Amino acid sequence: MVTATETDHSPGLQGGRGAAGTKAAAATESMGETLTRLRYRYWPDHMLGEILSKRWTETAIPVMVLIAVAFGLNQAIDGFLSPASLTAASRQAGEIGFIVLGMALVMIVGGIDLSVGSTFALTNFCALFLIHVLKWPVAAAIPITLLFGALLGAVNGILIGYLRLRAFITTLITLIVYRSIYDLLILQYSNAIAGYMPDSEAWNFIGDGDILGVPLIVLVYAAVAIFGHVFLTRLRAGWHITAIGGSRRSAYNSGIAVRRTVAMCYVTCGVLTAVAGLFFAARLATAGSDIGLGLEVTVLTAAVLGGISLGGGKGSVAKALVGTLIVLFITNGLVSLSAPGGINRMVLAGILILAAVIDIRWLKNRHRIISKVYVSPTYHALPPCPSTAPDSGTPFAQNDKLRNVSAIGLGEIEAPEDVILDRHDNLYAGSRHGDVVRFFPPNYERWEVYAHIGGQPLGMAFDRQDNLYVCIGGMGLYRITPDRKVEKATDETNRSWRSVNDDSRLRLADDLDIADDGRVFFSEATVRYEMDEWPVESVEARGNGRIICYDPNTNTTHTAVSGLKFPNGICIASDGQSILFAETFGCTVKRYWFDGPKKGQVEMVMDNLPGYPDNINLASDGNYWLAMVGMRCPALDLAWRMPGFRRRMAKRLPVDEWLFANINTGCVIKFNEKGEVLESMWDLGGQNHPMITSMREHRGHLYLGGILNNRIGRYKLSDADPNFVQYDKRWGKAS
Amino acid sequence: MIAALKDFTDRVFGRGDAAITVPPFDGALKPNQLLEEAAVVCELEAPEDLATDGQAVFVADGARILRLDAGGPAEVAAADGTITALACLPGGGFAVALDGERVRLMGGAHDGRTWDAAGGRAFKAVNALSAAPDGGLLATDGSQARPYGQWSHDLMELGRSGRLIQLSPADGGAREIASGLAYSFGACAADGTAWVCESWRHRVVRYNGTGAGAVVVDRLPAYPSRLTPATGGGYWLTAFTARTQLIEFILREPAYRKRMMAEIDPRYWMAPSLSASTSFLEPMQGAHIKTMGILKPWAPPRSYGLVMRLSTEGLVRYSLHSRVDGTHHGVVAAVECGGALTVLSKGRRRVLRLDVADIERSLQA
Repeated sequence: MVTATETDHSPGLQGGRGAAGTKAAAATESMGETLTRLRYRYWPDHMLGEILSKRWTETAIPVMVLIAVAFGLNQAIDGFLSPASLTAASRQAGEIGFIVLGMALVMIVGGIDLSVGSTFALTNFCALFLIHVLKWPVAAAIPITLLFGALLGAVNGILIGYLRLRAFITTLITLIVYRSIYDLLILQYSNAIAGYMPDSEAWNFIGDGDILGVPLIVLVYAAVAIFGHVFLTRLRAGWHITAIGGSRRSAYNSGIAVRRTVAMCYVTCGVLTAVAGLFFAARLATAGSDIGLGLEVTVLTAAVLGGISLGGGKGSVAKALVGTLIVLFITNGLVSLSAPGGINRMVLAGILILAAVIDIRWLKNRHRIISKVYVSPTYHALPPCPSTAPDSGTPFAQNDKLRNVSAIGLGEIEAPEDVILDRHDNLYAGSRHGDVVRFFPPNYERWEVYAHIGGQPLGMAFDRQDNLYVCIGGMGLYRITPDRKVEKATDETNRSWRSVNDDSRLRLADDLDIADDGRVFFSEATVRYEMDEWPVESVEARGNGRIICYDPNTNTTHTAVSGLKFPNGICIASDGQSILFAETFGCTVKRYWFDGPKKGQVEMVMDNLPGYPDNINLASDGNYWLAMVGMRCPALDLAWRMPGFRRRMAKRLPVDEWLFANINTGCVIKFNEKGEVLESMWDLGGQNHPMITSMREHRGHLYLGGILNNRIGRYKLSDADPNFVQYDKRWGKAS
Repeated sequence: MIAALKDFTDRVFGRGDAAITVPPFDGALKPNQLLEEAAVVCELEAPEDLATDGQAVFVADGARILRLDAGGPAEVAAADGTITALACLPGGGFAVALDGERVRLMGGAHDGRTWDAAGGRAFKAVNALSAAPDGGLLATDGSQARPYGQWSHDLMELGRSGRLIQLSPADGGAREIASGLAYSFGACAADGTAWVCESWRHRVVRYNGTGAGAVVVDRLPAYPSRLTPATGGGYWLTAFTARTQLIEFILREPAYRKRMMAEIDPRYWMAPSLSASTSFLEPMQGAHIKTMGILKPWAPPRSYGLVMRLSTEGLVRYSLHSRVDGTHHGVVAAVECGGALTVLSKGRRRVLRLDVADIERSLQA
């Protein structure tokens, strides 16, 4: 794969023209501008927006906090991260971790459970009562304790899920009720519990056993966490929970059993708390009055700190785990530093407030922040624009040649980006309704929908077998067989390792041409924007596009050249070993060899064009037609050299107000392979044919397409071969 | 210190003076196409200003003064310079500003009287004259830094050097009523005070004899130009172009503005313009992309046509528009005479005429 560099205008890549202009521009580049150029060349601004749009950033930030906390405490406290210390901490982490998992589930479904501390105390008591006082076997005590936890959770579940009480107030009440019950019970039984020591291997193993040095509780937690992750992300019930948290009403309207699901979440929370209670009972065998006191704050802090949203609908097991570890490290760290208990709780409460504020502000502003930072303009300097004035004497001098263009399908077709004719003089064009439309000769007044594809057709080309290959914006490369069957050729290429955005899917396949062996070379204009946002690329002016090769013989796709500034038109050159391609916002036409001695090289053909080149096609005299979709204007040329200005503009102004490339006026030029411009054809004022994105020569006429037009233009060429048919010329056949 | 801090936070958050919001065309400013559809009286070479003596309407075209007769414009006088402002004197004759640097009386009791300075400073860009009922003459000198033709330079340099001047035809006196105005363009006497348009501050300010200013109307979505009295009380206020957020933004981007002024032909600046776009070298904004051959009328107006009818208190009662897809832009003068409103679209070099009763009827309907 070849990567084009930013220095498009270095002398080594010069074509015949424009060299003097380039040197003049280089001489005028100031010191400050050099710094700007280097800064934008080497600093990847565009990645910030791409990273922020990734869902994993919401987990990545707590992970970074966790690493910072662990590192900081390890510096402050000797042996904080030693294996012995970690093993001890992990038992504690497991207990809290189970409760955080339960809390996370309840929060994801859109609720909250403040009674976890009291539930924990009661289930701890339940386990101890069954084993110490009633002297039940462990195998019986465990399921009964879990059932008891489920029962406590079910009280919350029924009140909140079925009777629709507020989660906050309900669990606050159960917090008090469960705590009171616990206080009454320990008054009666604490001596009995303390007075008996069960002699059970299994019970001791639960309390402090390990397998291969890993505490049992960690293994159980890992199993539950893995299942929880699969459950939340892959199973139907997990999706229901997230859906209810996201929007309870929509979930209800889509037929989800909202009440039952909510109730079951509280029940599960109760069970998970009971698991924690069991392990705690086995480890410490104590039923003191302060057990589980204030636990809900710790658990809530862990959940919110991990990134589980208080508003519901967002959260994951990984976030619960990370939050748990952060909170545990902080509390253990503070204990090791012998901070008083009051300080400990105050720090936790402070963190909770801070995390809750960030959670709410982030959720509310996430999209706004992303939309503000996503557009990241870069430095893009062009030499002074060649004159297009009618009396300038340049090949670009404006004229009125296209004034007499006649319109085909006026008001009947919308957005024909490209047009093509077959051997039987039928005219094909795309429309924004997702159709390829066919107009019938000789006068092209009658038309039909040739094939419906669904996305907007852009560039088109026939292969040797009369298949019509079409680039579809937003979908990829498609093929219409002669019997009008629509087939997908490709919609993905290899993922590049440097891109944050997933660039394997095709976003904006634009134009194509087909090599002798059937390989299709097509351009993808941008990997950062969608089809309808393509003019935003003129503000960004970064090399976001690429050229992709699809091989129908092996049915494989790979990226051939990347880092191009809006690559657009593509045309096989006369040697059959290279393609000519246009870079719209680079204002260049370049050549890429896919075969032969220069294989893999990219060379400049024309640079510093006065407009934005679009499609390229064969002319009957062996030269090439090039459509200019728009013309450069000095205000934007200057803004291209001031990326900071454009970035602020993109941040502060609505898109409708942005300074854009002028794509209301265009022209058609003819050039040869040496990069010499032979002639240009204009319609000043653009009254008849406002925009030109493509042109196709056929039997002495030039057919013009425009992506924002409601017509196809037809122009009589005075000195062209009246028998020229592009298909015949390309594939060596005679009509 | 606090002011500097506030300035800084304003810039960071885009609040206060750093805000680039533009008031919407709403309420009495709701767009219509009355100006675009108005009858065209004539097209001229270089029209600059209109005036009326109550009988006929006169237009300054280059160095000539034309009377708009039923049969077409007829020359009534010629000056020895480009006329940049025109007013009819109560006793007959005209007051004209020549090249923005001199004010001269032509005809009438004090024929030939000339001023070229006031308050010790020479005129640079005299752009409006208005005869007051007390026999005096109000003049606005838009800028001390840039001549009349370079108004967009003055805007891009954040010009604050406009003046309101009172001239006395009887004794030749000249007195500065106000200075430091952000491009004064258009004045009119009203109940013993003088109203003056401050284009770059998008407002009309009232000055009494002592020189203290009071805002009459502000936060206009356009750059106001000249003011003339309307029949039945109130005024006609024209605006030569409308504001856009991009221009407001560029006015807060000194580095870009400086380079733009240094490197680019003024015709192709990202600055307000008097006439609708004719060249692809002019900048284009996002909403200006023609779709299916149509330019959206609600696109950001680089040029615009607007006439506002103000009440005696200065509130906008109604307005006439030529929107972005039209061409009757750059309206610099409107005068009412005999129930008809004559409007000068400098951008299109056309004189337009509308019937005031028709306007009010169509806007009420």
